Amino acid sequence: MLYIANSTINNTSESIQGDVSVFLEKLSDEEFQRLYTQPATCLAIFRLLPDLAKQFIMRLLYIKKEVPLEHIKGWCYEQYIDKVNESLRRLYKLHICTKNENDEIRMSTVFQENLNNALIGAGNHTSFGSASTSVDKHKVNIEFLDKHGTEQWEAVLHYMVGANIRKKPSPAVLKLLERSGLMAKKDEDVNDEYKVFNRVDINELQITNKGFQFLLQDVNTQVWAFLIQYLNMVDDLKMDLVEVLNFLFQLGSLQLGADYSVESLTPTQQQMLNDLKHLGIIYQRKRGSKRFYPTRLATSLTSGSMLISKPSTEDSGFIILETNSRLYAYTDSPLQISVLNLFVVLKARFANMVVGMITRDSIRSALNHGITADQIITYLRTHAHPEMKKNMPILPLTVVDQIRLWEMERNRLKDEKSYLYHEFARAEDFQEVLNYAKQFDIVIWSNIRKRMLVVTTEGHSKVRAYIKKRIGSRQSNMHKQQQ
Amino acid sequence: MGKDDDVGLLILIIDTNPFIWSKYSNTNKSFTNVMEHLIVFINAYLACRHDNKLAVIASHYNESKFIYPTNDVVNVGPRPANAYQQFWQVDNSLVNSLKQLALSDTMEDKEYGYSMISSSLSLALCYINKIIRLNELESIKPRILVLSVSPDSSVQYIPIMNCIFSAQKANIPIDVCKLFDEETIFLQQATHITNGVFQNVEDSSMLLQYLLFSFLPDRSLKSVMVLPDQEQVDLRASCFCHKKIIDIGYVCSVCLSVFCKYSTSCSTCLTNYSLVNMKGKYSNPSSPNLNK
Repeated sequence: MLYIANSTINNTSESIQGDVSVFLEKLSDEEFQRLYTQPATCLAIFRLLPDLAKQFIMRLLYIKKEVPLEHIKGWCYEQYIDKVNESLRRLYKLHICTKNENDEIRMSTVFQENLNNALIGAGNHTSFGSASTSVDKHKVNIEFLDKHGTEQWEAVLHYMVGANIRKKPSPAVLKLLERSGLMAKKDEDVNDEYKVFNRVDINELQITNKGFQFLLQDVNTQVWAFLIQYLNMVDDLKMDLVEVLNFLFQLGSLQLGADYSVESLTPTQQQMLNDLKHLGIIYQRKRGSKRFYPTRLATSLTSGSMLISKPSTEDSGFIILETNSRLYAYTDSPLQISVLNLFVVLKARFANMVVGMITRDSIRSALNHGITADQIITYLRTHAHPEMKKNMPILPLTVVDQIRLWEMERNRLKDEKSYLYHEFARAEDFQEVLNYAKQFDIVIWSNIRKRMLVVTTEGHSKVRAYIKKRIGSRQSNMHKQQQ
Repeated sequence: MGKDDDVGLLILIIDTNPFIWSKYSNTNKSFTNVMEHLIVFINAYLACRHDNKLAVIASHYNESKFIYPTNDVVNVGPRPANAYQQFWQVDNSLVNSLKQLALSDTMEDKEYGYSMISSSLSLALCYINKIIRLNELESIKPRILVLSVSPDSSVQYIPIMNCIFSAQKANIPIDVCKLFDEETIFLQQATHITNGVFQNVEDSSMLLQYLLFSFLPDRSLKSVMVLPDQEQVDLRASCFCHKKIIDIGYVCSVCLSVFCKYSTSCSTCLTNYSLVNMKGKYSNPSSPNLNK
């Protein structure tokens, strides 16, 4: 009666981590205080917080002494006390605020000072990036950067889905893909001599279930998932974690289309430039160039979804889903088509669109890859065509419900450890035990005709003791069997 | 309750009436001091969400105009590496527009003029409408914040009330931050009717704290956070005939216009009252109900 398929899903969905704040919580106080010396970091972390926590920070920003916890609780209506506690917990975890033994809250002075610096533009930290002083002879415009960023990033994704590989990603990227578990070696048995000569052979890596889920995320989550993996590798690369984080947050505050000078960066950060270049997060015309341009992937790092910040309509949505589960996708990108192929049966392909059907089999095959119904629905919703977005709700309810039902269909069986009692000799014995067990609400299943009874693990000892007591007075042939 | 992906749209109306500000020019309540506080507040608002939208309207004594965003290209030189791009841009554009506004005041205009609050409110409402229509796919939560320094001009009573009711209908709260102790019953009513926040700033050296505490929380937090409330709202109206603020007056039964003096016909809707029923029956001016 054991059903294993579920457990794999849970493991994988947990490990796609596109949220940097969870990563941050692992840092030490000393590291936090060093992080907060950069106003750009303060601002970026501030924006990651829940709305209520932001208000708390702003209210405490100019208060240079302890504030009793009671006062802060008094800022909100009583029924929202959970929200207040949750917000405060986030602030403690990020070491922005500390609580002393008298239940008083104090904000980290480093954070206070540098968030204020960010607001008033004071200080001498150059954390918002120093612009190049000279004019670039090979100046590039925003369209170019968008194209460059998307191309580079999609090249990685293309590689993952194995759709006509034009360019093999750099070794650093391949290593990231493998380390993050998005791709895995196809076969461990590949003979060793072969490996020696081709240390990173592209054919060796194959997309994992986690990789499939990854593809359905929005770009911003994908980029962060990659960067967090990068952060996890920082120690191996002998880089300073705080500097790396500061640089990432700095990138998020830069302006698209402007060029920045490499010179004010630390050696660690210059090394990062090289790595990020391969992901399309920044653009450098040639190696060793004195300037770099952030692409949209970089500037939207700390500002949430890519789709919002992108004004063009062509990328914002291309999927039309009908109530009869038929799907039209206005795209010619092999990447999008192969992503759709994960859960849609494609029927026809035209120059600028593909037509497909969502069927039970197609959804089930996606579910088997560890993709969840919610991920599919979110994907469809975020990529819905602008015409679809005018509908309320955006996706046809029938289809959404059906996808959910198909997922639930796989979870019809629930496993639970239990004990089976059977082969009761007499009907009266069985009835008495059943009645006894029913009193404690521990019966999972019973069948009077077959004289079989299943009880929970907690109830087992009770039932066993009861039967033993009865056997003491009367011989009974009872077998118990664990299943 | 708002969702997390609601985009804020703040329309800030700054009362720039030079006749009032000049009274405080050499104190800590001077225009530049107050603007410094205000700019930090604006930055704090923009810091809360990267896609928070902002518009600033100057309510001057002879005109109302947008000072942010403007069409003028401001060239202020390269951005220093210590300033965040967005703040730097907004702040410079604002300061520049305010300077231009001050320079455009000619010396001949010596006569006192009231601030154009009503036209600023209309501009704000039109702008909100435009922005919402331009971004149909996003859910935008607009609000208006008025930094008020000058007293009410009863001449503007009708247009102000019209704006207030439009705002109420469109579900746009009007918040008011009152700086000097001038009488502003219309704006009090505005916050009361549109469910906004009214804050009288007693100590303007603490203006920033007042702003951050009362006006930074966006609409989704208004039901969560305890914000200042008005104890008493002055709901007096101004009469349509002489623009006086009155406690008791005559009300037209047809169009509900308010008058301080009795007349035979309504000047707003031109209804002639039949005087036959009126005579002798109603001597009390507080119940000028002309219905039979």
